[in-house]
Amino acid sequence: MCKERVGLNRRRFLKTAVQASVCLAVPEFIPGTALGKSGSVAPSERIVLGAIGIGNRGRYVLGCFLREPDLRCVTVCDVRGDNRRRAKDMVDAQNGNKDCTTYIDMRELLARDDIDAVLIATGPNWHATAATMAAKAGKDVYCEKPCTKNIAQSLALADIFRRTARVFQAGTQRRSLPNFAYAIELARTGKLGPLQTLHAHPGGLGTKMSGWLPAEPEPPREQVDWDMYLGPAAWRPYTRKLMNAFHFEKGGGLVGGGCLEWGSHCVDLCQLANDADDTAPVEYEPVNGQLHARYANGVKLVMRNDGWLPLGSCPVRFEGKTGWVETGDNAEFAASSQSLLLRRGTKIPGYPADFHVRDFLDCVKTRALTRANADAACWAHIACHAANIALYLNRKVKYDPKKNEFIGDEQANRLRSEALREPWRI
Amino acid sequence: MIIKKRYSLWFVILITVAMSARTVAQDRPAADVKQRDLIAVLQSDAPKSKKAITCKQLAIYGTEQSVPVLAPLLADKELASWARIALEAIPGTAADTALRNALDKLQGRLLVGAINSIAVRRDVHAVDTLMRKLDDANAPVASAAAVALGHIGGEKAAKALTKSLAIVPAGVRSAVAEGCILCAERFLAHDRTAEAVKLYDTVRKADVPDQRHLEAIRGAILARQAAGVPLLIEQLRSEDKKRLGIGLRTARELPGRNVTEALAVELDRLSPDRRPLLLLALADRSDSAVLPTVHKAAQSSPKDLRITAINILIRLGDVSCVPILLEAATEDDANLEQAAMETLVRLPGKDVDADLLARLPQARGKLQQVLIELAGQRQISRALPVVVSSLHDTDARIRSAAVRTIGIIGQDQQTADLVKLLQKTNSSRERAGIKKALLAISGRCGVRCIPHLIPLTQSRDSELHMIGLRALAIVGGSDALVAVKSAIESAEPPAQDEAVRILSNWPSNWPEDSEAGQALLMLATSAKKMPHQVLALRGYLQYIRGNKKLSNERKVAKVKDLQSHIKRPEEKRQAIAVLGEAASASALELLTTLAEEPAVAEEAYSAMVRIAGQDIRGVSKDQRRQVLQTVAEKSRNDGTKQRARKTLSGLR
Repeated sequence: MCKERVGLNRRRFLKTAVQASVCLAVPEFIPGTALGKSGSVAPSERIVLGAIGIGNRGRYVLGCFLREPDLRCVTVCDVRGDNRRRAKDMVDAQNGNKDCTTYIDMRELLARDDIDAVLIATGPNWHATAATMAAKAGKDVYCEKPCTKNIAQSLALADIFRRTARVFQAGTQRRSLPNFAYAIELARTGKLGPLQTLHAHPGGLGTKMSGWLPAEPEPPREQVDWDMYLGPAAWRPYTRKLMNAFHFEKGGGLVGGGCLEWGSHCVDLCQLANDADDTAPVEYEPVNGQLHARYANGVKLVMRNDGWLPLGSCPVRFEGKTGWVETGDNAEFAASSQSLLLRRGTKIPGYPADFHVRDFLDCVKTRALTRANADAACWAHIACHAANIALYLNRKVKYDPKKNEFIGDEQANRLRSEALREPWRI
Repeated sequence: MIIKKRYSLWFVILITVAMSARTVAQDRPAADVKQRDLIAVLQSDAPKSKKAITCKQLAIYGTEQSVPVLAPLLADKELASWARIALEAIPGTAADTALRNALDKLQGRLLVGAINSIAVRRDVHAVDTLMRKLDDANAPVASAAAVALGHIGGEKAAKALTKSLAIVPAGVRSAVAEGCILCAERFLAHDRTAEAVKLYDTVRKADVPDQRHLEAIRGAILARQAAGVPLLIEQLRSEDKKRLGIGLRTARELPGRNVTEALAVELDRLSPDRRPLLLLALADRSDSAVLPTVHKAAQSSPKDLRITAINILIRLGDVSCVPILLEAATEDDANLEQAAMETLVRLPGKDVDADLLARLPQARGKLQQVLIELAGQRQISRALPVVVSSLHDTDARIRSAAVRTIGIIGQDQQTADLVKLLQKTNSSRERAGIKKALLAISGRCGVRCIPHLIPLTQSRDSELHMIGLRALAIVGGSDALVAVKSAIESAEPPAQDEAVRILSNWPSNWPEDSEAGQALLMLATSAKKMPHQVLALRGYLQYIRGNKKLSNERKVAKVKDLQSHIKRPEEKRQAIAVLGEAASASALELLTTLAEEPAVAEEAYSAMVRIAGQDIRGVSKDQRRQVLQTVAEKSRNDGTKQRARKTLSGLR
């Protein structure tokens, strides 16, 4: 592999930025639809959206939706009164009226015939259950990540979206960001030579069992509907501390952990780089504070929290036999050779979900698979869950992606699924 | 068959959870001890919170021995969901029996929960009881039973569900239809296609929610395989958007060359607004037989269909598409041109490069321009001589394209060509293009460009002078720095200002360009113009902050030395940023002084908390506490106060 390290200081960044500005604005993606239509959109052609679980992250993604001219949001749902009010205000301001309806119980929203698609940003506890309920109700779904709580939910998600033929987009928007897409293109088109090692930032690797804290007085339903908040999670009394839906039962109730935080982004990108949207690594082992995994094709996957170049959050690094590339949320690159970066295209730092939302809406119209479709999300999540299980058991585990079972490992196999609280089911 | 293969993936989990007793248990004696302790907790007066977590642990360590203590919890509203976590996971028939027995004792939500767990475990012995539950007056119970029967599958379940479909209340019908569809998938997984088709067709005709119809239509098409094409085409022609949608999805899923051909024929029969949709679906079939259809569409009308086809060629195209795409790229239509160019840029294959290169020498006009652009975008370096010769073309558009391409694939020798061209033209547009290309090559080729750039820095034309300086700044190094410093000393005011600006942002190759730091310090302390002083001061502070060779103490000393020149709050904030990252006793001392100035006090407090939170040589814990206490008392920023208090509590 070329040892030259490129892009490690601002001078180099400046150089590549200059090069990027010289390049034509080459699109990083094959257009999802290329239907070639633009301009104003007739009301009858607009996609009607309902938004479910609209806290901070939900409102950010909803904002991306509201910018699209062919979309109209008409209703919001949240178990928290303050979130409902804020989201309604946001939608009403966009629509120029006061008509946005609000719900506490998502089943009422899903029962409406006028809703084409839903945004689900409830928090990971609800994601898979709500997404599959929506699909069965005939809605297309944009669902924030992590989308599932365990391996069984991941497979069920893919299965149900296939059966219902609904469109699913996981909120892994980095699949639609030009810098990550370009790095993936380098990996997939052999520009780095045969792939050897993929590196993903998991955003934490600890695992723990979720539990039950001392009871506190439960607020009125209008303020917090605790029963709906708990949803499919096992029962426990109201505690304010557990009201952070963004983290509640993240990574699965049994082995909740950080691996699903950024792992559902970074491992997902590694999956795509390895052309592994339909499989997952076959071995997982905790090694000195990292998680090492291996795909059946011999490519190694390393989940590590440190040792990254200063390229922003959610970094990934792809190493092949002849070159490597690393990129992160600041949209900069480091690579083994400048020539790898010549056609890298426009720089879009941060993590705007606009492109990802657009891809979803296009696929709602064409019925094509989205970039982060349910199958791709399923396998990326399985990789993360299997890693979490190895970390929880603190030993190596072997996974068979064809049978979807850990090989000769009863304990690991029992961690693949978890009962949902009544009456919920997937 | 896709539907069959996929189905087995999901259910393998359900099967192996229930059957995992057959796998080798790790360290069973240790697990038995663990289980014994966990059972003891459940049998004790431990609080429910402890029993809840115990249930979860039994999901890993429990065996049939745990079932008798878990089963009674199924009737406990607070612990039932925890108990089912274990019961769903524990292998063997005892858990199945416990869940089945609970069906006669539970009601409402708890009953639904037990049924759902039976569904997950796919307990075939529960079929009779579940069939009875289909008639339950409680709709959620009947619905759960219907879906559970679907998961378990088999003739008996299918028959019961089919019968129920016509008679159950409307609120349960959707779940019964779901159960039928699940049963149909089970049949397909076992090559019992006829039974599957029958079930799908039953649901298609039933009075159930439309989504269930759509699922049944999809299943009916896929189960019939090639014989499903007429039903598929019926959907594509349907007035109903949802049926069109299911047609488009199944058009992607139904395998077979004959299916591709049938859909290609249908493309011409569909209404114009639907053709792009079907073409996209065809393209997703990964069947090479689609290519002639896409070729044809890429040359046809209407425009929407043509653009769709051109975009599809990015994925499916090869060298044979080049003439079609070049024709579109040279037409007088901006949308077509853009689509064709995007495809031509991304079309894979060295044979595509060779084809484009072969066309370039003879090309004229718009085609020449397009091919030059493509040589750059595709990085066809062999095209460089022809492109360089186009720099002097009489057509300005061709010259511009050549400049852009040279910016991408040119080498240091082309810097000289571009400098000459720059000196010849007065057009601001052309100059801007050449400047971009020069900067790009300078960044790529580095010091080899310097001899070619020096003439620009000696130009009397201030614009050219500035372009030269900027290109040199990108190259970096001592020669470039000399030229920039010389411009600061002797150039005309506009170029001088630009040179100071360049120096103050001197690319952070520090400490390789340590001379830049010295030059900035000189300017910061002695420049005649105030703006120059300010720019240099900012640059110098940035230099200190980014210099990894300087120890924290030396960084603080340098800030201290410069203190008399740091007068405005803006620069003081920058100094505080340096100090905040230079954890040391001297930094804390200087920050304490700066915190007395109201304009920057909050920034100083924040930096103090950051430093006091670290274990620093020469600073005792007491001193750190004192600093944090001061910040907690004096800061007006809630966040800073909170951080100070939190850090303080960690120190105690």
